[in-house]
Amino acid sequence: MAETSTTTVGQSYGRLEGHAKVTGRADYIYNLRLPSMLHAKIHRSPIGHGRINSIDVSAAAAMPGVHMVVTGEDVKTVLPEPYYGPAFHDQPILALDKVRHFGEPVAAVLAADPHIAERAARLIVVDYEELPAVYDEIEALDSEAIVHEELKPAGTFADLKHLSGRRDTNVALDFHLRLGDADKAFAEAVHVFEHTFRTQQTMHTPFEPIVAIADVTHDRAIIHSSTQSPSFVRYELSRLLGWPESNVRVRTGHLGGGFGAKVYVKVEALALALSMLAHRPVRVAQTMEEQFYTITKHPSTFRIRSAVDDDGRIVGRKCEVWWNGGAYADIGPRVTQKSGFTAAGPYDIENIDIDSFALYTNRPPAGALRGFGIPQLVWAYESHTDIIARELGIDPIVFRKRNILRDGRPQAVGTIVKDGEFEPVLDETARRLGWDRPYDKGEGAKRRGRGVAIGFKASISPTTSSAIVSVNADGSVIVYCSTVDMGQGSDTAMAQIAAEVLDIPLDRIRVVNPDTDVTPYDMSTLGSRSTFHMGHAVRLAAADAKEKLVAMAEEVGMPEGSNAPLPELFIKKFGMRAGTIVGTANFKPDYAPTDPETGLSPNATPFWMIGATGAEVEVDTETGQFTILRMINVCDVGKPINPAVVETQLSGAAVMQLGFTTTERMILENGQLTNPSLADYKVPGIFDMPVIMENGMIEAEQHNGPFGAKGAGESGTFGVSPAIANAIEDAVGVRIAEMPITAEAIFRALRAKDGAPLEED
Amino acid sequence: MTPFELAQPASLAEAIALLDPNDTAIRPIAGGTALMLMMKMGLYEPQKLISLRGIEPRYSEVAATADGGLRIGAVTPLRQLEMLPVVAERAPVIAHTMRRLSNVRVRNVARLGGHLAHGDPHLDLPPVLIALGATLAIAGPNGERTIAVEDLFQGYLETALAPDELIVEVNVPAAAAHTAYLKHTTRSADDWPALGIAVALDMQGDSVSGARVAIGAATDTPRRLTSVEAALQGEALSDAAINRAGEAAAAEAEVHSDARGSAAYKRELIRVFTGRTIRQATGREA
Ligand SMILES: Cc1cc2nc3c(=O)[nH]c(=O)nc-3n(C[C@H](O)[C@H](O)[C@H](O)COP(=O)(O)OP(=O)(O)OC[C@H]3O[C@@H](n4cnc5c(N)ncnc54)[C@H](O)[C@@H]3O)c2cc1C
Repeated sequence: MAETSTTTVGQSYGRLEGHAKVTGRADYIYNLRLPSMLHAKIHRSPIGHGRINSIDVSAAAAMPGVHMVVTGEDVKTVLPEPYYGPAFHDQPILALDKVRHFGEPVAAVLAADPHIAERAARLIVVDYEELPAVYDEIEALDSEAIVHEELKPAGTFADLKHLSGRRDTNVALDFHLRLGDADKAFAEAVHVFEHTFRTQQTMHTPFEPIVAIADVTHDRAIIHSSTQSPSFVRYELSRLLGWPESNVRVRTGHLGGGFGAKVYVKVEALALALSMLAHRPVRVAQTMEEQFYTITKHPSTFRIRSAVDDDGRIVGRKCEVWWNGGAYADIGPRVTQKSGFTAAGPYDIENIDIDSFALYTNRPPAGALRGFGIPQLVWAYESHTDIIARELGIDPIVFRKRNILRDGRPQAVGTIVKDGEFEPVLDETARRLGWDRPYDKGEGAKRRGRGVAIGFKASISPTTSSAIVSVNADGSVIVYCSTVDMGQGSDTAMAQIAAEVLDIPLDRIRVVNPDTDVTPYDMSTLGSRSTFHMGHAVRLAAADAKEKLVAMAEEVGMPEGSNAPLPELFIKKFGMRAGTIVGTANFKPDYAPTDPETGLSPNATPFWMIGATGAEVEVDTETGQFTILRMINVCDVGKPINPAVVETQLSGAAVMQLGFTTTERMILENGQLTNPSLADYKVPGIFDMPVIMENGMIEAEQHNGPFGAKGAGESGTFGVSPAIANAIEDAVGVRIAEMPITAEAIFRALRAKDGAPLEED
Repeated sequence: MTPFELAQPASLAEAIALLDPNDTAIRPIAGGTALMLMMKMGLYEPQKLISLRGIEPRYSEVAATADGGLRIGAVTPLRQLEMLPVVAERAPVIAHTMRRLSNVRVRNVARLGGHLAHGDPHLDLPPVLIALGATLAIAGPNGERTIAVEDLFQGYLETALAPDELIVEVNVPAAAAHTAYLKHTTRSADDWPALGIAVALDMQGDSVSGARVAIGAATDTPRRLTSVEAALQGEALSDAAINRAGEAAAAEAEVHSDARGSAAYKRELIRVFTGRTIRQATGREA
């Protein structure tokens, strides 16, 4: 698209739903209650892996006020094949035969009073035969413990078919990329570096927990859900039911956060089954605590090796990444592939091997979380890159710039980079940090240091978005799309696009909350894809409506180019204020699949997302405690549709990743999660924020984006973790290779460096 | 959370009468911030909770006493200890401690009596009150008794209170001239502390004439560190003397590894923070 001047697009309008939210009137599904509704409370597995010998529900069922107790076997009476999942049909609605992780749903109690249901759920007694369990992604490679005896890939993905029926392995998927000849590059290299980095298990903590209410009659299933994926939920439930999708309605309201926790099916299938069994509407509402058992961010191990020549050029890189997907695959295999191919970093390297493995373990399942695996990768490759620069005595910025990807060059996956502002993002980060000015590193107990890191992501592809834009007879407009506004401001952006195309004021536009009976298909609200994909669909649907309005004007004999008000046009055509003009569009970007042998594709993504962070830290060497004095997040944001909203996306993403970097960690002891609550799982508070935080936007036209825009909801996460680790090394000379970065880890590293290691206990 | 009954008595006597010496499923509730967490986790399922919020207003008041100290009603919200000028004047270390105690929402709701009766070592005021030499008035069916705050804590979540006794008042004597409390959190800034050290010193000229030092969070119960007090007695607080105090603290305190840090790390923290707290109390550069 050529650059055009715009009026509504590019302006920082306040969010359409802002007033409703601050006055407490926004419609969240969590607040919804239906007449004669029952509440479900879940009895969960207390062990990591075990065979279910028997379930005794008698005490729970006998409790006054309990309507019904449901087990996995009961679910089978209404849904004979009760397994779901976007990539693998591996997850039972309630455990069948086996439990595979601590906290897995085993039975559900229904009651009109949720407190009674909760008390009764505690009365259920399950007899397990414990099985050997595996929690670590490396051990899972050859452990005696096998989480799933047989792999069950969903039939929908051609590229997973070969996995069908594979037995006795915990490797759900392996992805391999071969570019050039990495072995040769390493054999000939002057310098070879090898490091291993790890990340921990964390959770999304959306403040509106995962919730669904199902209301099923004999041929109709209505699901109210706080989902990010209404279209997928409809698809998956209709598959479970064997019903046409038109018999399943999935609707949502505003979401109190999602961050990937609410993509694909979460509690909808359970709510569906329970409503079928109870013949009443059933609400399955998780507590904050229960979300820790439901979906998490992949722990990972990444061994990375680089071959570097005498000029400081990276000539080869070998990446081995192991993703700990927990007990159910969810979308993990896609993380393995779609993020996997960027594992070598935003560098122009001619010889690359990437091996990326999705592993089953007996941890709570892992799926998509803001960044879709990218932050784990950047943690490793940008820590590694920094170490190399320091060891070669090359300035870390200079070293990165010597190797950075530039427009016109192929990324590792073989796709030529276009509109990827890698170098400007890095330059701006360095400029804001004042990189070329001397830096006072302090003396005595408090030492200061600086670090940078840059990461990038491809957009998940190919995916489709559809939109309807209808023009009412008074000239106001309704946008129907299944993009879910979960706080990212998408409703406002879509309205701005429609307003721009139709040339009408923003306050005449309503964006309908997703409802599959009403709003057309969308792949899902994830991966920062909505602005690009749905943005195009809305733009095209609005253009379609506009064309029809022009035709109508012609038909009623208005002069060409007439700017008569729309109400007049409708009155001319219909004799009164009546009629509707409807524009529609489907949008799917071009794509070329990756070669199964080499993992290469000439067109793997419609656009690239790029984010860098610069950090200044101060370390208290007597305690290891550190303060982030300054955090600078700079991202390539395309041409922002709404710059103020984009900026809050950058800061929000960076702060979220800061939590994963410094404070958040799910602790498993003997397979049991010991801190499943916000009391003991620490989301950063206001005093954990950097003293100064800045967000910088590189605004650059994305040639194929709607009004030059691209996605920017995750880019702020990319550089945060390694920038902080790099700054810590700059300050005190120790390297932290495992997240989260804690004061104790730094203190221990300092003591080890001084030759006086601290004893373990 | 499972259903329970809530009683809202209007007097202390009524509240005590509602308690049962033999039934732990009946308990007092003050702010509820600690109880609710335990109930949400399923660790405690009460039958009946006796709210103290409606009892006589004097139990929610803070008053200056004739001896230069404070009398604090047990139902006083922590936020009051932060805001009332009389607290800042008479025991500035208490007001100062409030600022980094959890967050303002918790401080608005939590009460001093609940804070102490909970018996959790990971709280901030117990070491402060121990260092200040505070005492408690405890009321039960047979009348009132007084104990030192340091004698309240018997073990993890265990106190010297009988199930039908209530803390009604905290009496803080006139504070020492030099007081400070420093805490260290390891998981997030507003986490429960991994370590808290409170120091109250009186000086005669350049040397210490009286020392009370208490530790919280790192040990099973908040307690005095008597070896540190002894090490400080009569000292001029040279760097060497302060280091010796730190070493004494690390040696005396019995610590365990947990989610907030390993025992070895906590011993290092105790050493460093003992010194820092002494310096802070006496206005020395850290
Ligand atoms: C998220 C969170 C973070 C926190 N962080 C910190 C922190 O960093 N530092 C800190 O110091 N504190 C912290 N707190 C604790 C808080 O300061 C409260 O002091 C504490 O939770 C108890 O106060 P409460 O009034 O809410 O007690 P409640 O929960 O009402 O009661 C606690 C216990 O005391 C009993 N009880 C209450 N009043 C009396 C009485 N008068 N006599 C006898 N028994 C009584 C109850 O039966 C119960 O057993 C935190 C709390 C929360 C929720």
